[in-house]
Amino acid sequence: MKRLLRWLRQRLLPQEDWREEMESHLAMRQEWSERVNGASKGAASSDAHRRFGSRVRAMESLREQYWAHAVQDFVQDIRYALRGWRRQPAVVLAVSGTLVLGIGSATGIFSIVDPLLFRPLPYPHGEQLASVGFMGPVDTHEFMFGNFYLNWKRDQTAFSAMTAMRPSTQCEVVTNQTMQTPCTRVEWNFLRTLGTPPAMGRDFTPAEDRPNAPLSVLISYRFWQSAFGGQRDALGQVLEVDGHKARVIGILSRNFTMPQLGDLDLLLPAQIDPVAARAPGATVFLRAFARLKPGVTFEQARQRIWPLFRQSLKEVPAELRSEVHLMVQSLRDRQIQEAKKASWLLLAAVMLLLAMACVNVINLLLARSEARREEFAMRTALGAGRGRLLRQALTESLLFALPGGVVGVGTAALLVWALKQQATAGFLRLESVQINTRVFLFALAASVLCALLTGLLPALTHLRAQALRGWRTVAGGRNWFRHSLIALQIAFSLLLSTGAILFMSTLIHLESEATGFRPEQLVAATVNASRTPYSTNEKLAAFHNELERRLREIPGTRRFAMSDSIPPAGGVHVRPVSNILVANHQRVAENGGLAAFRYVTPGYFGTMGIALRSGRDFRESERTGTESSIVLSDLLAKKLFPNENPLGQSVALEGAGSPWLTVIGVAANVKNNGLETPESPEYYRVRMKTGMQLGHSDTAVFRTHLTTAQLERWVARQVAAIDPAATVKMAVLAETLRTLNDRPRFLAMVMGVFAAASLLLAGVGLFGVISYLVTSRTRELGVRAALGATRKNLVVLVQSRIMGWVALGMAVGMLGVLGMQRLVSSLLFGVSAADPRPLLAAVGTMMIVAALASWYPSLRAARVDPALSLRTE
Amino acid sequence: MAKRADTLAGSLELLILKTLARAPNHGFGIALHIEDASDGLLLLEEGSLYPALHRLEREKLISGSWQTTENARRAKVYKLTEAGSERLREIEKQWTGTARGVQKVLSFA
Repeated sequence: MKRLLRWLRQRLLPQEDWREEMESHLAMRQEWSERVNGASKGAASSDAHRRFGSRVRAMESLREQYWAHAVQDFVQDIRYALRGWRRQPAVVLAVSGTLVLGIGSATGIFSIVDPLLFRPLPYPHGEQLASVGFMGPVDTHEFMFGNFYLNWKRDQTAFSAMTAMRPSTQCEVVTNQTMQTPCTRVEWNFLRTLGTPPAMGRDFTPAEDRPNAPLSVLISYRFWQSAFGGQRDALGQVLEVDGHKARVIGILSRNFTMPQLGDLDLLLPAQIDPVAARAPGATVFLRAFARLKPGVTFEQARQRIWPLFRQSLKEVPAELRSEVHLMVQSLRDRQIQEAKKASWLLLAAVMLLLAMACVNVINLLLARSEARREEFAMRTALGAGRGRLLRQALTESLLFALPGGVVGVGTAALLVWALKQQATAGFLRLESVQINTRVFLFALAASVLCALLTGLLPALTHLRAQALRGWRTVAGGRNWFRHSLIALQIAFSLLLSTGAILFMSTLIHLESEATGFRPEQLVAATVNASRTPYSTNEKLAAFHNELERRLREIPGTRRFAMSDSIPPAGGVHVRPVSNILVANHQRVAENGGLAAFRYVTPGYFGTMGIALRSGRDFRESERTGTESSIVLSDLLAKKLFPNENPLGQSVALEGAGSPWLTVIGVAANVKNNGLETPESPEYYRVRMKTGMQLGHSDTAVFRTHLTTAQLERWVARQVAAIDPAATVKMAVLAETLRTLNDRPRFLAMVMGVFAAASLLLAGVGLFGVISYLVTSRTRELGVRAALGATRKNLVVLVQSRIMGWVALGMAVGMLGVLGMQRLVSSLLFGVSAADPRPLLAAVGTMMIVAALASWYPSLRAARVDPALSLRTE
Repeated sequence: MAKRADTLAGSLELLILKTLARAPNHGFGIALHIEDASDGLLLLEEGSLYPALHRLEREKLISGSWQTTENARRAKVYKLTEAGSERLREIEKQWTGTARGVQKVLSFA
């Protein structure tokens, strides 16, 4: 093996030959000198060497003609660096540790935000895909109605293709067993528009999308494996889906994902009937997606759709028009809605932290190379070029940083695992996080960048020193660089600290926000009976009444009520406020907004803990006969009756001709629009025994001592007795409220950790710089002490040198905070972007940290013994 | 006035090629010849010959082989190649042209 290496080395860099050649030259010159000039051996030898010049330089010149010399240099640099490390393990540990943490957390955060922000969507040219529709109070995402969709599709000029899907539901599928699977109905060109054809078999044809055509179905990879065992003969088989026969025509590819990120097993044609969809009053609810024409931007597409939108708006009731907006956004934006700003914030914050880590490492390495000044001087005198020294510094930095990158990937995986345990990180969709090639590349890039910064900067500032000037103890102008780095660290740390304080106060405000009801011990059970077709209104009414009767009997419960929806969610129903007629009053203006309403049983307010500001609750007697009473929320009451007592007044909800209802009570406002947005006006109607008001689902609320599990068992039993196909879902209200705050809680926690880390880094950096200052100026301090300076004078001297920079850092940081506040204001609540208090708090914290960091070194400055210091020269 | 040959960087190649055009030689021999033929006006830093020699060898303008000299000493002897004598002709022409031009400017009254 050794022989192989030697042979290789000889081939790539024939240094032995050169040496021999030059030796022979010198020998010949020496001989010639002796023979021809009669010189003595010694004189001839020195003459020969003098004439020859530097053999080392000749060798270097020769070596540089071969590329292999770079490799040899590199190896030499590595061994040199490692030798140096063995002598100074503390510094090495500090540097490696800092870099590992910095690169590790940056890689971790990157791996989390990459799928959200950067990773290409799993569709060819996914950046051209758009989600299109109306944004309105009906839903959290944009949507379309069938008639509008068909018109837009026919007339639009912005997209090369437009497609739609109906909301996903559960279908009952019979293969060799019966099961419920998620299935979606889509237009025939759905997969074509996305650009993801089936992996096997074929896509839908337009003929299969016509109403009443025989059903074809595309199955997911997962379903193919579980229901058909992955056999090819799955194609062409017939399944029974919701009672209809459907033929399998294709199998979707393994990593196919739906654009709205829903779960999926079966894809069926939507078979929208254009005539039926356009009938007045028809509401075919769709999600629409489209592919931009090449070269068209989202903004341009939006402008081209605008006329179509305005046309459609004419068919929307006037009072709703101001609530409806056009949305044309990229598919990525639609997918990452809540997480977008937070992701950018996390990425920016962690990059700041990484920069701070690099700055600390630079300071450490600067201190180290100061100490090695003589060594550099020696090497320069021996012939090392500046390039060589730089290369060596860079190699050493890479040696620090690359392992940092490798360990960083491991740290990243750990970070992601830790966050997955955190329920509050759910909004980041951590299931789609992978430690993949992109993450490795990021770690590599971060490591190389850090190596460049931390290697080049110290080396460059030092090489400017002339070779052998290295024996002075005071480094004059060079210090401004280190001090400016400290200023930079203080600025970054201030940014991160202020951010953390802003997010923490946001969280505190959100958590202390009054919800309007008392969630303690409240458990809700939502019953969904949509599987069963209740063909007549009587049957449906019977279902609801029977449900109420049974659930009311529950033991161990103090209060019980039923409603079709409960806060903090909004109402299932909304009505424009301007539709509400008030006897002997003017209508509210048309843009008066929407009011939510719920159908509740008497006792609802007591059960929920909603205070009644005036009046009374509904009575059981009011549930039969004709509906006669209504309860308004405080906000709505003020809107309709700004200056008078609403009790006893009459309102008609559906405009002229509809029955008059008497206002019997005013309830306190309840959060019905999320925690961060102001609540909408709301009113409550009593549930009539006729049951005509209700759909296929219902919610029962219990204020109870029972555990959720016990309650669920009992409720499920009661429900099954009425309708075995109905489903029950439990929710603990206190938890629902808490999860609403998940994102703010997560941000507060992570920013807090970052801020703490940044303060630590800044403190350590400051400590290092002041210590160095004291050490390098020991002689000067000694002289001053000898001349009569008090300890206090010395301390002040040391501190004043550095505090100017600290102040500069604070100033820059404050500017940064002002700039940042506008960017993050949409993530805040209860604390304004321009509030100076968080900034002041951060400045105060920074000053405490600075004081702590400078305490010990200043003490050492104060204790300088003049006699001792003057001797160290 | 003795000039150091490494200030005449490109011309070192010329001197080497011309020397070898007369007869194959080793490094020491080339240095000796240059010193001799220039009447001591050109004093090389002899070490700088070797990078130049190797560069020429890699460009295939000269070829070297290890031989034993009269004094039973091993030395690498270089010989001019075809391509080398081509290059020599080119550089020589350039050089004399330049030299004449400089001379004319210097002697312009």
